[in-house]
Amino acid sequence: MALESLDTVVLSRWQFALTAIFHMLWPVLTTGMSIYLVVIEGLWLKTKNLTYYHHARFWSKLYILNFGIGVASGLPMAFQFGLNWAPFSESVGDFFGTLLGFEATMAFMLEASFLGIMIFGWQRVPPVMHWISTICVAFGANLSTFWILSANSWLQTPTGGVFVEGKFRVQDYFQAIANPFMVKSFAHMFFATLETSLFVIGGISAWYLLQNRLPNFFTKSLKVVLVMALVIAPLQVFVGHLSAEQVYHYQPAKLAAMEALWETVPAGTPADWSVIALPNEAAETNTFEVKIPALLSYLLALRPKLDTPILGLKEWAPSDRPHLVGLIYYSFRLMVAIGLYLAALAIVTIFVWWRTGLEGDRLRNYQWLWWGWIFAGPLGYLAVEAGWIVRCVGRQPWIVYGQLRTAEAASDLPPQVVLFSLSGLVALYTIFFFAALFFGSRIIQKGPNVALPIPGQANAEELEIRIKLAQHQPDRRPLDI
Amino acid sequence: MEPSPLAPLEHFLPQVWFFILGLFLFLYILLDGFDLGIGILSLTSSNERRRNILMTSLGNVWDANETWLVLMGGSLFGAFPLAYATILNALYLPAVIMVVGLILRAVSFEFRENANNKRVWNLAFGIGSFLAALGQGFAVGTVFEGIKVDAAGHFAGGIWDWLTWHSLLVALTLIQGYVLIGSTYLIYKTTGELQQTHYRTATIAAWTTFIGAVLITITAPIFHEQLRAQLFQPPLFYIFAAIPLLGVLLIFLLLRSLQKREEVMPLVWTFLLFLLSFIGLGFVIFPNIIPPSVTIYEASASPSAQVFMLIFVAFLIPIMLAYNLYNYLVFRGKVVA
Repeated sequence: MALESLDTVVLSRWQFALTAIFHMLWPVLTTGMSIYLVVIEGLWLKTKNLTYYHHARFWSKLYILNFGIGVASGLPMAFQFGLNWAPFSESVGDFFGTLLGFEATMAFMLEASFLGIMIFGWQRVPPVMHWISTICVAFGANLSTFWILSANSWLQTPTGGVFVEGKFRVQDYFQAIANPFMVKSFAHMFFATLETSLFVIGGISAWYLLQNRLPNFFTKSLKVVLVMALVIAPLQVFVGHLSAEQVYHYQPAKLAAMEALWETVPAGTPADWSVIALPNEAAETNTFEVKIPALLSYLLALRPKLDTPILGLKEWAPSDRPHLVGLIYYSFRLMVAIGLYLAALAIVTIFVWWRTGLEGDRLRNYQWLWWGWIFAGPLGYLAVEAGWIVRCVGRQPWIVYGQLRTAEAASDLPPQVVLFSLSGLVALYTIFFFAALFFGSRIIQKGPNVALPIPGQANAEELEIRIKLAQHQPDRRPLDI
Repeated sequence: MEPSPLAPLEHFLPQVWFFILGLFLFLYILLDGFDLGIGILSLTSSNERRRNILMTSLGNVWDANETWLVLMGGSLFGAFPLAYATILNALYLPAVIMVVGLILRAVSFEFRENANNKRVWNLAFGIGSFLAALGQGFAVGTVFEGIKVDAAGHFAGGIWDWLTWHSLLVALTLIQGYVLIGSTYLIYKTTGELQQTHYRTATIAAWTTFIGAVLITITAPIFHEQLRAQLFQPPLFYIFAAIPLLGVLLIFLLLRSLQKREEVMPLVWTFLLFLLSFIGLGFVIFPNIIPPSVTIYEASASPSAQVFMLIFVAFLIPIMLAYNLYNYLVFRGKVVA
């Protein structure tokens, strides 16, 4: 019994981790990119400059590819709470289920419904209506982020009710939704999706610039990205800092794991910040470590010495503290490093823009900078995944922090069955991941169609691409074909 | 537990939520039904041009249609957490089959757009649609047949409980039903040769669905003791006598409209057939949510949770219906090559 149920818990955890890590890759881009599309389409409506319209058409091709895989991989997310975590679903369903229901009714339906118009409706609705559809898509996507982050934050800091006999009874819904982690976590994720998308768009634009392919077109997208990134990237570093601070206050065991801190740092003594460490869980110490004196104190309170102690991992019994300390420690550092790199890149590029005006041949002297942008393209994803690993692996052994243990929350299924679904998902996800890379790079290779006439006029590309939706009934609007 | 000020609502709320979930599920079966049906039909498409038309007819709607399922899952989780947990536990494998099918379908839809060699993704799209329909059919069949639970309402059966002759029959019939609504939708959306093909597939599917429905209606009371007791009591008896009769009438009207080569009416009759079967299923299950023994009152979330969700969801349902309708309106008309 013991061994069997352990296996099921481990397999269910693997399945959840894998589904979440894979699923997250796609909505991260579509959520952030939707805001970029609202901006670029708004610029088109405002300036009537056709380039912005072509940008909207080009980037939305990547959008739809990512959206499809996002929906597909989101389905197992939506169902596995019941499939693999039935005791959890029953225990917190009153609240947690309500929020997932909200996410679907308020947010996802909005996004999915208007997406049809956003992608296929260029010839069917007036430009302003199209822009409103794009705004609805962006609003829906970001509202999804809000509900998901509220639900996840509640798992980190459950408030707004009490646990009676293992079942959560809500006393105040608004307090539960606005739990202590919610605001900063949502802000952190909101900026993360936007920042990741901006640097993906920027990275792809830089790739074109490096090849000197459509340089005027892609300096345009790069400029929009730059203006947005210059605000977002430094702000994200700051919001990230606030998020780490709330971990310090609410989840000291997670903070200790993020810092690989085994011994408590008493109040009134400086806390060092470790740069590199080799955590050894068996020996409850770091076999090797490089530290910067007092930096952690400065980071947490802007003072050389803290008023309250920072608890070390040894304060908790091994069964009550997070494991995989090394993973949490390095994921955190990776995320921080990427956040700093992206902010620095935005600032450096602004100087180059100031020097060159980002026009013409002078840009070619800055190959190193374009490589820096291409390199930055995938980094946002890495930072997001690393951040979620810190957040959710660091929460262990709890599924609802301090209230419900992960091991008690898993469905009692035969391990072979979970293994079956797990291996099925691994196989599919692997294929989809590489296929998406392949087709995504093909869209990029092919490049934008800058000959596309504005909506309402005879459309050469669409004519070439075979099928048209034509009106059956006589229609006063201009004919598509 | 202290007495709640919401106590008078404790009877009413679960019924409202049962109805809302029914609505979501019905809209899902109807809308994604024709998506899945078209997916299955695409396996029989003779050439790429025809398949293109089939896919184009789905392009703007498939993800919104699929969202009704996510909505169903999320609302069931919120309103009846026990049912969500127990039913998904009992249906682990059919649910995995369905999810894998839906993933395969959604992803190949996007990949196909960009692929030079479309054959792999065509096949994946069709097979995905078929698997999703199969998983759903087994799920409906199993819920219809009943799920073994212990005193606390937790799943107490085995991992293969869902695999029976009767649930297989329901699954096959549901697949036929999806092919039928897919065909009638295509009759409405296409012209010419393609439309003629789907008059044929619709006629065949109408007959196979009809045969399946007759077999289910006959076998259900024979094999399920509890259902028999329920069915032959006076008030329900008349309803259950009326439903098959209405069903036969609708099938007749459907076949006649297909013969007369009408364009919209086959879809309307199919819609009414789906509605009728769904209402019949609802009557069989109500007031249970985990048949045969756990009622909606026992599986309910707390009244405060149900009220809280209801305030928002009741307000959102008309809005969601409105912009879904708007979407169909924007893309109305025929798909032509």
